[in-house]
Amino acid sequence: MSKRIGTDGSLLTSLPWTLAALAFSVLPHLPFLPMWATATFVLCCAWRWQIERKRWRLPPAWSRIVLAFVCFVSVYLSYDGAVSGVGPGSALLAVMAALKLLETKKRRDQFVLLFISIFLIMSSLLREQFLWSFPYLIAGVILTMTAWLHMSESRRTSIGGSLTSALRIAGYAAPLMIAMWIFFPRIATPFWAVPIDTSAATSGLSDRMSPGDISSLSQSDKVAFRVSFDDEIPPPHKRYWRGYILHTFNGRTWTGSEPSIDRTAKSEVSYDGSPVSYQVTMEPTQQHSVFALDIPEDWDLRQTNMGPQHQLARIHPIDQRITYRVTSYPDSRLNVNLGSFWQERYTSLPKDSNQETFALAIQMREAAGSDEVFINQVLQKFNTEEFFYTLEPPVLGADPVDRFLFDSRRGFCEHYASAFAVLMRAAGIPSRVVLGYQGGEINPMGRYMIVRQADAHAWNEVWLPKRGWYRIDPTAAVAPERIEEGRSSAMFDGIGASWGLNAPSEFLYQLTLTWDVINTKWNEWVLAYGPDNQSQFMEWLGMENPDWRKMMLTLIAILIALIGIISLLLVIRYRPPPKDDAARLYAKFTNATGVSPSTGETPSAYCKRVRETLSSNAPNEITELYLQARYGPEGNDEIPRLRTAITEFAREARV
Amino acid sequence: MSYLQTTTDFFSTVALRRALQKRALGWARKRQGSDQLITRLISRRIYILPTAVGFVFGIMVFTMLLGSMNYNNNLSFLLTFMLAGIGFVAMHQCQRNLVGLEIAFAGVDPTFAGQVAVYKIAISNHSKNRRGHLQIYVGSISSHIDDLLPGESRVFHLEVPTTKRGRIQLTRFGIRTLFPFELFRAWAWLHMDLTGLVYPKPAAEVPLPPATQTAHGHRQHDARGEEDFAGLRRFHEGDSPRHVAWKAYARTGDMLSKLFSGADTSSQWFDFDQVSVADVEQRLAILTRWIVDADRAQVDYGLRLTGEEYGPAHGESHRHKCLEALALHENTAPYIIHK
Repeated sequence: MSKRIGTDGSLLTSLPWTLAALAFSVLPHLPFLPMWATATFVLCCAWRWQIERKRWRLPPAWSRIVLAFVCFVSVYLSYDGAVSGVGPGSALLAVMAALKLLETKKRRDQFVLLFISIFLIMSSLLREQFLWSFPYLIAGVILTMTAWLHMSESRRTSIGGSLTSALRIAGYAAPLMIAMWIFFPRIATPFWAVPIDTSAATSGLSDRMSPGDISSLSQSDKVAFRVSFDDEIPPPHKRYWRGYILHTFNGRTWTGSEPSIDRTAKSEVSYDGSPVSYQVTMEPTQQHSVFALDIPEDWDLRQTNMGPQHQLARIHPIDQRITYRVTSYPDSRLNVNLGSFWQERYTSLPKDSNQETFALAIQMREAAGSDEVFINQVLQKFNTEEFFYTLEPPVLGADPVDRFLFDSRRGFCEHYASAFAVLMRAAGIPSRVVLGYQGGEINPMGRYMIVRQADAHAWNEVWLPKRGWYRIDPTAAVAPERIEEGRSSAMFDGIGASWGLNAPSEFLYQLTLTWDVINTKWNEWVLAYGPDNQSQFMEWLGMENPDWRKMMLTLIAILIALIGIISLLLVIRYRPPPKDDAARLYAKFTNATGVSPSTGETPSAYCKRVRETLSSNAPNEITELYLQARYGPEGNDEIPRLRTAITEFAREARV
Repeated sequence: MSYLQTTTDFFSTVALRRALQKRALGWARKRQGSDQLITRLISRRIYILPTAVGFVFGIMVFTMLLGSMNYNNNLSFLLTFMLAGIGFVAMHQCQRNLVGLEIAFAGVDPTFAGQVAVYKIAISNHSKNRRGHLQIYVGSISSHIDDLLPGESRVFHLEVPTTKRGRIQLTRFGIRTLFPFELFRAWAWLHMDLTGLVYPKPAAEVPLPPATQTAHGHRQHDARGEEDFAGLRRFHEGDSPRHVAWKAYARTGDMLSKLFSGADTSSQWFDFDQVSVADVEQRLAILTRWIVDADRAQVDYGLRLTGEEYGPAHGESHRHKCLEALALHENTAPYIIHK
């Protein structure tokens, strides 16, 4: 009859803290974990704790294997077969922690749990980085380290003692951390590309446009990028941020080409007028486009080039928040001379679609007499006839441009841009559609501008001989408020509902703006600290031509200095208290006798032993004085007398 | 073939490790010299290496660094560097955790062969800081793990198993710590000559002690006086069946022996030459048993061993003198614990 042997309860003191550390690390993953994974984690934690408290047995090995198999298959299925990336990775970690808990028997098994806890914190940072992520990670590490210490120390130590030790160690580690963070060389190219399925990664611009297919445009408050201008903020009609240039139309959808490098692009620009300099902090888009005002002349972002249509693009996608500086010339002219090949390309239309529009364009162009007049008349048409700006237009069937121009007459920027470009092309004027952002909200506190996803916009560029490409925004003809005023104050027909007509109170508005200032500074100074910012910072610190070698050497020097200081502090902290005078004098006496005191020998016994070899009466006197000084009432004159006696004795012994 | 290869490799690794350890120990011994019985640890004699957990931690931090570099993620850089910083600090604190400790030999109680000799090592913390996770060890033998509060002293027990009688000598022991995170192990070797005494193992099966003479030369019926009943004590092997309190046994189930106090204050003599066994070790074992039993019975006894006479007397120190004489009989070279 074998007795069921349960756990021995040896983890009772340490397990709750390990569980706390794990739970704290899982916290930011909760919105992203599949329900079953969260449930498994919570249940396993609770179960394991009950096992420890009630001295139950751990579940048998076969059941753990089955559970592990089920969990791993579930992760595989939950993420459609993806096993890399932050999503499945953190789900795997959470499940692994849960399974490991069920076989945690010994104290040291908890090491694995604490390692998992750290990896969970790390993967939450890969997913998203907010302002609170910083205090969160510090708190997470300190909690994990406290649990770690508590696991490793004797039962006499309270959790408060472990926390104090962890805080002290973290305090010593902080300068090392900061030095390494500043000086560790950042590299521009990633080693490998693993998709970060950040649900928080904002949906960037689409690189295509089919206006008839969308029946409503969601208004996302998410930030696309923030801009701070060196001088004045340009007026709204100059705040067009070019993204994708769409040059091909198939009757329904506008498409562009993949971003590419065009070494001659800059030579096609005649930079004119006064420059505007500004700094952009861009949120990750997983796309290549880098936003700038027309037309960028100088930029400091690495591996970023000007494409054939004079827009900027980085070679690898923007997968992290980045900061860059640009100088643009808003009054520049583009492609004053456009080759006939390109003229033809930018006027091509599919032959068999949107025939009505085609006919209208021919007719209007003939009536107008010149291209300039024609363009103005088209804009006039949008402005004076019954065209409406709405974010919830009807879906259009075949020949969407015809249907829009002649039937529905309701749409947002994409509809107008598309119709305008088709009209231009039909009349033989080279034109294209530009997708990008327009406008932005000015934060008066931070003297910068926030451009949100809701500021995404589509407009046109037409080419005229001698003038080159220039921007025309047909939406401005329909709804000038859309262009001239900030989004937050504009109220358009039919879109009130989607914006929530309850305008936020002034106080709340101020609060939001203040919060955004703090966030922006944090983003600029900390989160966007990459190779470029680092070089600048190093130069500011006085390093000439900073490269990774110099930074590494500086880092090593600083680390050595810091570690020296830390070990000095530790020496001071662990220093024994100074010996009292009596003990020091007595040590001098024992040295002088030539008889070494043995362990546990009382001064009197030692004295007796000394007297066996020495006939003098001095040892008796000295011992008496020493005991008086050491253990007698305080404030007597034994110490000076002891000193005299011992000095006397030592001198005689030497002779 | 490949299997053979692996096993050879394995053994040579073990051998290599042993050889290295031996070299390191020898080097440390030469470098440090022998220690006083009270020794304060200074920093230059403390050694430190990462533990297995420390290696895993290092690999984890390195992996995290690669990940941070790949994603250029500044907060995960921060996390990585915080852990790296904690690793650095842990290393220094681990070493400091030993520096300044006062290690004193606090004696070893004599024991019987086959039992453990308990070496008592007192460690004192004179600083104002707690010292965590301390342990005394020699080879694979280690004490319990404990910490020391500021100003505290504690005795750590090193339980060395013994096999044979005589002196045993511990020439070296270590003190180690894994504080704070078990990432590093710091240790110091102390070279003190700590000699302990191992009594012979008492024999299990013993003949009755020979009938011996009283101090006056009269023969006695038995080892103990039979004149006056003096009380009962628990039965020991070797007690005469005639003295067992059978009535009490029938009543309670406890085997008890009757004790008598002889009016002639007789005492018993145990003589090495009169033990009727040929083997010397066996003889010593029997004598040990007799002495232990006699001591328990609190009667006077004496020991004759190769011309020396001890007693007759009783008490702790007499017992020790007799057993020490037996332990060291033709066996003065100490047994050195090489671990």
